[in-house]
Amino acid sequence: MTGATPVDQDDRGLSVTARHRLRDVALDVALDVAPGACLALVGPSGAGKSTVLRIVAGLLRPDEGVVRCAGETWVARDRGVAVPPEARSCGYLFQDHALFPHLSAWRNVAYGLRDVPRRERRDLAITTLERFGVGRLADAHPDRLSGGERQRVALARAVVRRPRVLLLDEPLSALDATTRGRATRELADVLREHDVPALLVTHDFVEAATLATTVAIIDRGRIVQRGAATAIAASPATAFIAEMSGAVVLTGTAAPADHGLTRIDLDGGGVLLSTDAGRGPVAVSVHPWEITLHAVDGSGGGGVAGVEGGPGVEGRSGGSVVGDGPGGGGGPAAGSARNALPATVTSLTTVGNRMRVGLLAGQPLTAEVTVDAVGRLGLAVGAPVTAAWKASATRVVSAGDPGVD
Amino acid sequence: MSAGATARRAAFVAALVVALTVVVAFLTFPVVAIFVRSSPGALLDGLRDPSAQDALRLSLVCTSIAAAIIVVVGTPAAWLLATRRFRGRSVVITLVELPLVMPPAVAGIGLLAAFGPQGIVGRPLGDLGLQPVLTTAGVVTALVFVAAPFYLRQAQAAFEAVDRRWLDASRTLGAGELRTWLRVAIPVARGGLITGLALAWGRALGEFGATLMFAGSFRDITQTAPLAIYERFATDFDGALGLSAVLVSLSAAVLLTVRIVGRGAVVGGVRG
Amino acid sequence: MRTLRRTALLTSIVALAAAPLAGCGDDEPTSGEGGTTATNVTLKVSAATSLKTAMEDFGGGFTAARSSFSFAGSDELAAQIRQGVRPDVYAAASTKLPDALHAEGLLEEPVEFATNSLIVAVPAKGSKVATFDDLGDAGVKLAIGSDTVPVGSYTRTVLGRLPDATRKAIEGNVRSEEPNVSGVVGKLTQGAVDAGFVYASDVHAAGDALRVVDIPDELEPTVRYGAAVVKDAPHPEQARAFLDALKGPDGQFALQAAGLGPKP
Repeated sequence: MTGATPVDQDDRGLSVTARHRLRDVALDVALDVAPGACLALVGPSGAGKSTVLRIVAGLLRPDEGVVRCAGETWVARDRGVAVPPEARSCGYLFQDHALFPHLSAWRNVAYGLRDVPRRERRDLAITTLERFGVGRLADAHPDRLSGGERQRVALARAVVRRPRVLLLDEPLSALDATTRGRATRELADVLREHDVPALLVTHDFVEAATLATTVAIIDRGRIVQRGAATAIAASPATAFIAEMSGAVVLTGTAAPADHGLTRIDLDGGGVLLSTDAGRGPVAVSVHPWEITLHAVDGSGGGGVAGVEGGPGVEGRSGGSVVGDGPGGGGGPAAGSARNALPATVTSLTTVGNRMRVGLLAGQPLTAEVTVDAVGRLGLAVGAPVTAAWKASATRVVSAGDPGVD
Repeated sequence: MSAGATARRAAFVAALVVALTVVVAFLTFPVVAIFVRSSPGALLDGLRDPSAQDALRLSLVCTSIAAAIIVVVGTPAAWLLATRRFRGRSVVITLVELPLVMPPAVAGIGLLAAFGPQGIVGRPLGDLGLQPVLTTAGVVTALVFVAAPFYLRQAQAAFEAVDRRWLDASRTLGAGELRTWLRVAIPVARGGLITGLALAWGRALGEFGATLMFAGSFRDITQTAPLAIYERFATDFDGALGLSAVLVSLSAAVLLTVRIVGRGAVVGGVRG
Repeated sequence: MRTLRRTALLTSIVALAAAPLAGCGDDEPTSGEGGTTATNVTLKVSAATSLKTAMEDFGGGFTAARSSFSFAGSDELAAQIRQGVRPDVYAAASTKLPDALHAEGLLEEPVEFATNSLIVAVPAKGSKVATFDDLGDAGVKLAIGSDTVPVGSYTRTVLGRLPDATRKAIEGNVRSEEPNVSGVVGKLTQGAVDAGFVYASDVHAAGDALRVVDIPDELEPTVRYGAAVVKDAPHPEQARAFLDALKGPDGQFALQAAGLGPKP
């Protein structure tokens, strides 16, 4: 199916504009993805992100819009163009994989190989399965496969036809935490190998940040912010986006303070300082890995800014992908100001070699520290701690609309 | 409290067991009686009787043709009912299911009124020389009428249970709607389709009233096994028992086959 | 919506299934049967289908007991008695079956209470058959009773008296062998066949729909109706009274009004 005529680089990209009335939201998006690039659509369920994939694949005809890919027009409602899905060549990785239950792994992969001579289909399918490390499972039926194995078979099936666009719908959500890391690397490899545009749908910002070159936050059918994952994480446009990107979001009332800082009186008690400007009702965001936890001694409970030092345990200073944003550039003097809130531990969750610590400090917040640190601090549910972070890591964002979900 | 609760629980379980025992006893007793009362010799004699053989053969031929028609027409119809939402859909479903609750006599009268020599459709059919009354085609017509709803219901339920995403996946993998239906929907719904076919076939094999009224009873042309049993009932009870035993065995064999075949199915059939 | 529909369906199924049961209660004999309160007794009468009109008419006027009828082919009713069903009275469209059951010890002495004549019935309008001789014509469709029912065996008696070629021609035109007379009549009124062998009383019952084509006298069989009280009948006294009345003026009037002939 690959075009015989050499095409211009831009021509191999994907371009979508679509309006479509869904049950409770009106989808209205416009996006472009270059060959080799991956655009992640991040949003809560019901935001319409899967609908975009369905429109690109031809499984749904938008009310209005144009879809162009690989130099062809797949949809142009005003001209009555609607290429059926079977003629589009999309590598679609479905949520829960959607492997055909009545076919063995290799037959699942070979299902789309109608253009390949019958004799070669099995070999090609098995070669592809082998590339994903599941060649030995060629004759197994999907119900005999683990989640990770299904994921690989589904990947093999999606790419074996050399599709002209990759559509990935929550590809990692069906996997357990241990499988996820490996699957993420495999997906990244696939995206790198296939020099085609890719659209990734996920509700997990970290997943998007790991796999995509560009992230678009989608809410209620509209793209509300788009850019590099790091840029979005560093300066989320709204509280909703901050929350989407995994940051802790607290609400309060802002007013200008000394040294060009902003003072925020939190709803439910406590005071924070931020290097960002703001006034009136605001939302404040901070990433869990910016927060450090300190043991409480007699005098350490004051809820004011400027508490320095103490037997602190530094959180992760930045994720492998996100966190190194421009958040640190808030000004040399003010940047040293720190926030500290007295809090109570409400939950402890292991995430890899790190621990997510749920806290209650008037409002709920989450810190992410090393497992080692948890031991040293003797953290347990119900224990009092002090949560601290820099004023420069404290984003003041418009309270806006926290969005659905 | 716990003693009372335990006692109540035990009583409840006992009641369930009693209910099942009554059900099983009541439903199996007539079947057992057929075999108990017909000696193997009589059974064989019944089978050796040429008119019984004719009736059995006619039954098998007519039910097979009816089943084939039901599958060929009913499968796409059930698919449409299962996958498309359209105005009047529930009315259509009710109409299709109506013969399920129709007494065979009503079915016979209805068939005559529609396809009989004086019927709405029957009159023009007769002018074309295609009048089905008192012909083997008439038997098939009656069988299709009474048995098709069993298949349609089951097939519709089986198709409704097919995950949409499998169909979507097939489409994105280059298969058109027809190919998707043939290669994914039907194989996945296989269990339910086979169950429905078995139910329809069983119903057709046992059909009596509508056949008699619409197609009459004539050896080798329209006298199916149930009609032959009925004819023997008065004068040759042993012969009737023998033929009944054969029919019961056939039906049991079909049900058993369906259970075995259906075990490997992905989407199981909904019984009833 | 869906649930509603299902529920409605279920309700109709239950209603249909329950309908036949509802009729059962009437048949229960009322207790306190001392012979004086005779109208509390319900007499069960198994009668040949061809007796339907006459029996219902007569039963309405019979005062010694209430009568409840079960109409079916004579042979079918006989088979039920052989299987242990115990009605009070068995009234057949032949004498052969009552005699046989009597010989088997299942009936008391049978009596003959009516006659009937076998005739050829044709649809009143536009039949291909005008006379008996037309029955063997090519393209004529016939319905007869199966050889297990009296009407069928009388028909075969008639055919047996014909020359071989004529008999074969007529037999070749038979399209259906019905298990009872009403099957033959139904096929005739629906126009499914051109002619059928039935009793004179059936044409009478069918009103204007059917016309009689006479069977030549020399072929005509004697159709006599026999009835008897069933051995171990629940109400033998009333059953005997029923048979007596059937042979009496009331019974004979009802039978003849329905197109049957007088007792021999």
